[in-house]
Amino acid sequence: MPTLEATLAKTALFAAHVGLGGKMVPFAGFEMPVQYKMGALKEYTAVREGGAGIFDIAHMGQVRVSGDEALEFLQYLTTNDVSKLVEGQVQYSALLNETGTFIDDITTYKLGDNAYYLCINAANRHKDVAHLQTEAANFDVVVVDESDDTTLLALQGATAQAALQPLLDIDLESIGYYKFAEVSINGCDGIISRTGYTGEDGFEIYIPNAIAVDVWDALLANGAVPIGLAARDMLRTEMGYALYGHEISDAVTPVEAKLMWITKLEKGYFIGKEAVEARKESGPQQRLIAIKLTGRGIPREHYPVSVDGVLSGEITSGMFSPMAGGVALAYVKPEHAEAGEVSVEIRGKQVAAERTVLPFVRSNVRR
Amino acid sequence: MTISANVKYTKDHEWVRMDGDIATFGITDHAQEALGDIVFVELPEVGREVEAGEAYAVVESVKAVSDVYAPVAGEVIEVNEELEGEPEKVNTDAFGAGWIAKVKVIGDGPVELMTDDEYNTFLEE
Repeated sequence: MPTLEATLAKTALFAAHVGLGGKMVPFAGFEMPVQYKMGALKEYTAVREGGAGIFDIAHMGQVRVSGDEALEFLQYLTTNDVSKLVEGQVQYSALLNETGTFIDDITTYKLGDNAYYLCINAANRHKDVAHLQTEAANFDVVVVDESDDTTLLALQGATAQAALQPLLDIDLESIGYYKFAEVSINGCDGIISRTGYTGEDGFEIYIPNAIAVDVWDALLANGAVPIGLAARDMLRTEMGYALYGHEISDAVTPVEAKLMWITKLEKGYFIGKEAVEARKESGPQQRLIAIKLTGRGIPREHYPVSVDGVLSGEITSGMFSPMAGGVALAYVKPEHAEAGEVSVEIRGKQVAAERTVLPFVRSNVRR
Repeated sequence: MTISANVKYTKDHEWVRMDGDIATFGITDHAQEALGDIVFVELPEVGREVEAGEAYAVVESVKAVSDVYAPVAGEVIEVNEELEGEPEKVNTDAFGAGWIAKVKVIGDGPVELMTDDEYNTFLEE
């Protein structure tokens, strides 16, 4: 039997997490902290209520795409319109199969006219890279997987900028929402974007592994609190942000996942375009809705959802929100997307829920 | 934590305090620590009869849903309704204000319950 240590990867910050009392769990092939000593609720509060939290998300993947046909290549492979990106801008996007379903959701960074940087999900990394490299054979581009050398930190919360600014020469005020800068940090090259997954102001910081511990420690010294996977998922779900393996997967298209806003059918051909157009024409096979329990209980992933007493679908992400109560995203039958009494089956009992709008709690991102 | 000679423990990290034929149930400090922040407790209905080893309550932390098992058989006569509004009491005072239910014991009671010393030894193993 392989041991846990032998089969799971560790990020450059593994020892730091253990030192901070991190409870390490398997996640996307890595040993990652689900929470630290203070516990998930206090971590959540630190980010939501005026502090700053720091998250090790180095399990995520990074791919550099460069070459004379980098733009054409990414227009062909991703759903969003890369021609609209300006240098220093980030774009939320997706990679689709020919069938229009998701290979992954990604962010695209425009480094220059012939150079882009993609951030991809940890669990999909090898699949994504293989897909990109296969397609790259038909374009004048080079695809380099930099994941193993790169640490990605997220720094999120109202005081994120104050915690990060002392480490940098550039003025962070110059980086707008979904913008980034290539920076010098601790003597190394890094990328800092005003992006995140929490609904708070904050940054994502791409740095070489060699300086990961120093930057992490400096941010802690500047008041940031370490945040584990549990609080990260609470913050993500409260915003209604899609997560691969939950709201999006190779079983749904952007039509179902309410991600047509990143799927630009008018931009020209891209992989999956025809299938998405056909699905848009025929209508989604299921619809994503946001619900809030009115009865007691916590809606959890995979709990069955009924509308007017008829089984209609299931929860994809659900949680107890300290600010909003029991909230969830669920896929239901198309005819139940707009109307009907919703209930969630919890341990054999139907618990009443109401439809609501996203985000479940107010977003404080800087627009 | 309140340690008392008439408190016994199960291998599933529940405690039971006997007072005549009334037994009070809860989960141990070790259990709440392992679960993390508790955000919901589903209490049994008063009047329900539970078997020893039967799931009688559910404790939910941020990430996990856990059944809680009855250390002894009995009829539920009282539940800690304060946990409906303040489930965190299970974290802050697992052996006191975080009690879950009281039962009137039915039958001879438990087969395999541990004393405080035995439970601490069990935790070390």
